[in-house]
Amino acid sequence: MGAHAKYSRRLGIFAFMLVAMVIALGFRLVDFQVVRAEEIQQASLDRREVTRTLTALRGNIVDSTGQVLAKTVFRYDINAAPKNVGPVRTLRDGVIVERSVMDIALELAPLLGLDLDDLLSRLDGDTEYVNLAKLVDADTYNQIRDMNVPWIFSDRFADRLYPNGAVAGNLLGFVGSDGTPLAGLERQYNTCLAGVDGQETYERSAEGVKIPTSNVTTQPIEDGGTLNLTIDSNLQFFAQQVLADTVSELNAEWASAVVIEVETGRILAAAEAPSVDPNDPAAVPSADRGSRIFQTSFEPGSIMKSITTGMVLDSGVANEFDTVEAPDRLYLDFNNEYIKDSFDHEDFTLSLAGVLRYSSNTGMTEFGRQIDRDARGDYLEKFGFGVPTSLRFEGESGGILRPASQWDEMTNLTTLFGQGLAVTPIQMAYAYQALANGGVRLDPILVDSCTSADGTVYYKPNQVSTRVISESAARVNLEAMEKVVEFGGVGKTARIPDYRVAGKTGTAEISENGVYLDQYAISFYGVAPAENPKFVVGVTIYRPVGVSNSAMATPPFKAIMQQALKHYRVPPSTTESRNIPSNRYGLVDEND
Amino acid sequence: MRVFMLSAQEARKLRPSMVSAIVFILGLVAVFALQLGLNMMVTQDAYELRALQAQKRDLATDVQIIQEEVASLGSPQNLADAAHQLGMVANPSSVLLDIQTNRVFGEPTPADGESLGIASANLVANSALGSTSRFITASLLDAELLAGVSTESNTVAGVTLQSGLIPASPTR
Repeated sequence: MGAHAKYSRRLGIFAFMLVAMVIALGFRLVDFQVVRAEEIQQASLDRREVTRTLTALRGNIVDSTGQVLAKTVFRYDINAAPKNVGPVRTLRDGVIVERSVMDIALELAPLLGLDLDDLLSRLDGDTEYVNLAKLVDADTYNQIRDMNVPWIFSDRFADRLYPNGAVAGNLLGFVGSDGTPLAGLERQYNTCLAGVDGQETYERSAEGVKIPTSNVTTQPIEDGGTLNLTIDSNLQFFAQQVLADTVSELNAEWASAVVIEVETGRILAAAEAPSVDPNDPAAVPSADRGSRIFQTSFEPGSIMKSITTGMVLDSGVANEFDTVEAPDRLYLDFNNEYIKDSFDHEDFTLSLAGVLRYSSNTGMTEFGRQIDRDARGDYLEKFGFGVPTSLRFEGESGGILRPASQWDEMTNLTTLFGQGLAVTPIQMAYAYQALANGGVRLDPILVDSCTSADGTVYYKPNQVSTRVISESAARVNLEAMEKVVEFGGVGKTARIPDYRVAGKTGTAEISENGVYLDQYAISFYGVAPAENPKFVVGVTIYRPVGVSNSAMATPPFKAIMQQALKHYRVPPSTTESRNIPSNRYGLVDEND
Repeated sequence: MRVFMLSAQEARKLRPSMVSAIVFILGLVAVFALQLGLNMMVTQDAYELRALQAQKRDLATDVQIIQEEVASLGSPQNLADAAHQLGMVANPSSVLLDIQTNRVFGEPTPADGESLGIASANLVANSALGSTSRFITASLLDAELLAGVSTESNTVAGVTLQSGLIPASPTR
């Protein structure tokens, strides 16, 4: 019995302890599983969970035919861990091959563009990181990766590539080394191109290995849109070739050429020389990195005259048969001032076409001053002068056009033939677009649209058209401008066989601080085919050395216009220009 | 708590049976084996996923290399240089046919490189030109092997054109 009681007591104590333990553990269990469950789970997740930014790819910029002008590519920084540098053993075809550090360095140096000593000195040390080369291309990266050297590793970066180099470089702009857009369309349309970075979270084990199926995308990635330009890169290249040639031949400061599709107002080419290669903007001076077509204004000179003749015809002051007396010097009734022509001549009797053909300042003044000053101011504004275009290109200039009420007596007259105001090449080209498009000026279009990969349109330009002069005035004006190319001393060189071309030369003296220098901006702006205008081409050459006449501006005009007509398969003209008076006696010269 | 005294016979009856122990242990082993199998499958798939992802990345890199090369070869600068090298000049005058009226517009005139006044060789900078990769060499070798052409001269990827200081792409 005694033994029985002893066992029974021991069993009792054991059972009691067991129960106590179960209760204690139970409390702990409830505490962990119920009371603090959320807190503990969160703490655990925080230790496992990693958040990662998924970088959105910057969109492409493409031309009107889909040719890529700017795209995102990946580049690689190649790094090494000098601490681990040593011979590498690899198993090749069942044989262990050992490569010494020198072997690897000899193979690596030419790939990285380093000399051997430089590379070896970088690999020497006790650190875990040293950069060997920055932003190497994918092919080099592949070759280095295939070398299978464990102490070499790489970081991938998105970089911008402009496969066509300086073709449209002045328009495209460029991005900095960190991907920030710094100029041009890259910057202006950054919202469309940049895209939205995404975010992803996933869980990883204690060893840092990602746990499969644990990733959750918390912010979906949205790649940048494609910017579709109206530029035709083949025509753009051609125009840039011509201008590069012109600038080097004439030793000019710069030259620009704009090609516009008359009926749509689309810019097919906006070429400049010098131009910038966006792959390497630092290779050219900062002044050449922007677009002078939009950013630089100049006194236009005589190319303005065909704008004035358009006003004269539209306002009904004169028609194509009316004439004025045009001496080589026209004395004015204030301050003993006079206006003179660029060459000495006996008194001419000039029609509007004659004024253009001989580029007579005096004749232009006689016709133009019959129009009310304020009305002329209004015309100039409607032609688009004095304000930047609707494109609002980066740093676009509005030129200089004072309100007509502020013109002094001389400016009142000189604006008729392009002095006392400044225009940008793009403004002048669109004023000619209005002349060519039956008197209706269209807003310029350079960006057709910005679209996402799934076809969503992020941006589409809103084009406004402005009636500047009547359709009949515009038609007669073009007929008058044709006489420049048919009979004009300089204009003749702009002739294109088989096509009717209308245009105007311009030679403007360049002033600095109010003093006219012996330097010029020479231009030719023209339209073809005159009977059914398709293209406006405007060429300006700034400060050609030793050239004071616009004869040097016609060959580039002719080459570019001819290329545009050929490129777009425009059939030659089948009609002759109308016989209207244009000679020095106010009479008709028959076509030859 | 109550304690019972049993006879030896009764105690034998209550002894756990060998069969049920074996069934229990086998069951346990089966569950573990199944879990292990599933784990191995998941791990295997994870490795495969990783390998495929790496392959996808490598292929994307190859696509990029080839696209860069095509863009370089197709750039107007390279084409202008190549055409110039071949002695080609642009003919500004075009001749058009109207097939409805059987009319010919313009007079066919041969292009004259001297009198054109338009540069034929490239004058427009492009530092993206000239990227070459082993792909071009490989594809040329393949093509020539297919055509049964001797490959002795194929260590060089192609003719490299130079105009001034601007590097040019290889071209055939």
